[in-house]
Amino acid sequence: MTAATEQTEAQVLDAPMPVQPWWQRLLRDPAALAAALVFLAIVLCALAAPLISPHDPFASSRAVMQPPVWAEAGNWTHPLGTDGQGRDMLSRLFYGTRLTLIIGVVSVAVGGMLGSLLGLLAAFKPGLDPWVMRLVDVMLSFPAILLGLALVAVLGPGAGPVIVALAIATIPDCARIARSIAVSVMKQEYIEAGRALGLSDMALFTRYLLRNCISSIMIFISLRFGQIILIGAALSFLGLGARPPTAELGMMAAQGRDFLLFAPHIAVIPSVLIFVIVLSANILGDALRDVLDPRLRS
Amino acid sequence: MLTQIVNRLLISIPVLFGVLLLGFGLLILVPGDPAIVMAGPTATPDVVDKIRAEMGLDEPVYVQFFSYLGRVLQGDLGRSLISNKTVVSELLAAIGPTAELMVACLIWSVPLGIALGTLAAVFRGGLIDRTIMAISVAGVSLPIFFICLMMIQFVGVKWQLLPFIGRGGPLWTVDGLRHIALPALSLGAIFIGPVARMTRSSVLEVLKLDHVRTARAKGLSETRVILRHGLRNALIPVVTLIGLQAGYLVGGAVVTESIFSYPGIGRLAVGAILSSDFPLAQGAILILALGFILINMIVDILYALLDPRVQT
Repeated sequence: MTAATEQTEAQVLDAPMPVQPWWQRLLRDPAALAAALVFLAIVLCALAAPLISPHDPFASSRAVMQPPVWAEAGNWTHPLGTDGQGRDMLSRLFYGTRLTLIIGVVSVAVGGMLGSLLGLLAAFKPGLDPWVMRLVDVMLSFPAILLGLALVAVLGPGAGPVIVALAIATIPDCARIARSIAVSVMKQEYIEAGRALGLSDMALFTRYLLRNCISSIMIFISLRFGQIILIGAALSFLGLGARPPTAELGMMAAQGRDFLLFAPHIAVIPSVLIFVIVLSANILGDALRDVLDPRLRS
Repeated sequence: MLTQIVNRLLISIPVLFGVLLLGFGLLILVPGDPAIVMAGPTATPDVVDKIRAEMGLDEPVYVQFFSYLGRVLQGDLGRSLISNKTVVSELLAAIGPTAELMVACLIWSVPLGIALGTLAAVFRGGLIDRTIMAISVAGVSLPIFFICLMMIQFVGVKWQLLPFIGRGGPLWTVDGLRHIALPALSLGAIFIGPVARMTRSSVLEVLKLDHVRTARAKGLSETRVILRHGLRNALIPVVTLIGLQAGYLVGGAVVTESIFSYPGIGRLAVGAILSSDFPLAQGAILILALGFILINMIVDILYALLDPRVQT
């Protein structure tokens, strides 16, 4: 080896690694970029629903089952046509997306938070571990849709019971994953160092454990989001979720079911929108995991 | 082996207990008087009083729970408010069709998913791999009701290839097969994606191992290496995945049965809830949860059979 190569090697090793922020690495992947843009657009439309809706989403008109603008009989008054009661599809889609997203976000956030807390506590206090894990096992034996059915049976159909059911269904998976992440963090030396410094349990938990687990847990939650949206939409499709006249995408698809032959757009458009929301969330979740925490890939 | 199976059964006992507790909790949590809920909105006060006495609703909660347990263990789940048949007889009539649907769904989707996943692993990074993975991501993002509606719209109505309402008969009859085809195809469609993904990553993992290199060094053909040495060992995680996906199977069956008016437990549960037939809803949910536990138990036992290293 010559002196020159040795020197360049040393220079390379000494030079600071060009570390890109995670979001730049994320957006370099074209699929992730596209998914991020689509998802952002959908969220913005949902947030701005009252401002951008061309019509009242609940007002019927005489133009019943009017096809969308690209069909022969379509026109620009109702760009995506009207449903079986003559309500403007586009406006209902804006509002429907809003409710669908709210159901997904609230249940994943609440369930994810409670589940992570359980999982972290189980790893932090080994005495609690067997109790938490048995509880998780029992909860896992009730799949989300069954919990939904059970709660709706008790409380009656509505968005509220669906949110509660989906939140409860998110807890056990999240607790398991949080526990496995936290168990490996608890073995790190800095935890021991923190203990040796005489930190209180509370400080150790929030400053050392929680902060080191949170990003992995968030990734897992983002991967769950799509599934939760699908289950929520399925419950609404069955008539167990949001109640008419509110708009919710799954329920809109169900309302279009009777007109499938004459006016397929009433069922197809909301279903495709759910597909796009879940697909972009899934692609984004996968890409986030690859960038932030490839260990979770298995 | 026997001890493993017994161990697995013992582990299920607390879970079963939990499920029964939840089933009982449903009744306690109902807003209002449980006796009125059980008797239905049209019942006379006499009937309500009779049910209250039968269910021991004036006793303390733990006594109620044990009497509920006793009744469930004796197979007494009450009577449907709508049909007035016993809940157990309604459930028994619906279990067979649901089991048939699940078998018919898994029998085509799991092998296809495994085949696609293996193909993707063999051609890793290539066009085939990317196409298969794109299809599987799209597949897990599709709402199942949309798949069902499209099946009805095209296969059922437009092309008139297959019936799309109800059940034709047992699985071994031609009519039974024709009727179960569309529900089983729809329900299976959501399964291919996860199975293909899991198979792919698991085969890739196994192909890196020493024994595969040895097999290649022995001069075995690539097909033989992949099928005998790669895929065989890669199937173990796939079996676990099917257990993990059992929830989707149960949930998917609820949606599929409702859309195709297929007379299984899922449709029974949804119908009972929508018509406030509380005893039937409670029974159906209990049976679905038991089915879910059973699937997981079978998967765990299969897992132990396939992989001698697993000691449960």
